[in-house]
Amino acid sequence: MKVLLVDDSGTMRTIQKRCLSKLGIEDVTEAEDGVQALELYNAGTFDIVLSDWNMPNMDGLQLLKEIRLLNKEIPIIMITTEAERARVVIAIQAGVSDYLVKPFTPDSLKSKLERWVTTNA
Amino acid sequence: MTSTIAGKSELTAEFVNPIISSTISVFDMMLGCTPKRTGLSLKSDHIPQHELSAVIGISGKAAGTLVLSLSKSVGIGILDRLLGITTDELNDEVCDAVCELANMIAGSAKAQLEHLEASISIPNIITGVGHAVHYPSNVSPICIAFDSEIGTFTIEAGFSDR
Repeated sequence: MKVLLVDDSGTMRTIQKRCLSKLGIEDVTEAEDGVQALELYNAGTFDIVLSDWNMPNMDGLQLLKEIRLLNKEIPIIMITTEAERARVVIAIQAGVSDYLVKPFTPDSLKSKLERWVTTNA
Repeated sequence: MTSTIAGKSELTAEFVNPIISSTISVFDMMLGCTPKRTGLSLKSDHIPQHELSAVIGISGKAAGTLVLSLSKSVGIGILDRLLGITTDELNDEVCDAVCELANMIAGSAKAQLEHLEASISIPNIITGVGHAVHYPSNVSPICIAFDSEIGTFTIEAGFSDR
């Protein structure tokens, strides 16, 4: 399974990478913002995208919209501080597959990722 | 003028409980320690309590600034608790970890004030003793002090309506 992991925080990418590693997923490509992520997405093949919302240059919502123009099937999971119902609705309308609000416990991150990486392995 | 200032103080006050609960929740979930609130005061200046500040701008129906202010040692403790990385210096990893924590506190607090339709900026780090941060004019920022297993820190914030 190939994962595109997008977050402007190296700390958050490390936390998610370690969680993926515990699930046996080591093929993780990292991006610091939506622009970099879209370039990587277009240059490679990925099975799932994990993305933050608030990032410089291109935010996660715009990235979600851009990827959905190219691929309606790939699972895209938002992992973000944007917890308001209105924001979640916007993300759903844009085609998000799942949503995890920060802060999260290690177990909630693991169970969220486990569901998708197991389904799509 | 007085009523304007009072109105802005009320808006800042509206953030107090969401900030406190968000701070406790973020520290508890991400760092495994539960901070205790030790003080709440109005600030007379714009100089954060400690040498390291993660600053987040908030815009929307409430506009202002939220600052996570802490010492170098608490910042190092946050990195250690989050990632298990130990260091003696205030490096990029410490700053990134502190920024991410501030981001989660601000995001969680604004989610409890959905009617304000607020957006948060990307966090910035300011270091150095005696540095100042910007707040909207005529706003007296609040300072919420906490103590935790990794040391003391403050959340400082001030908001006005647009």
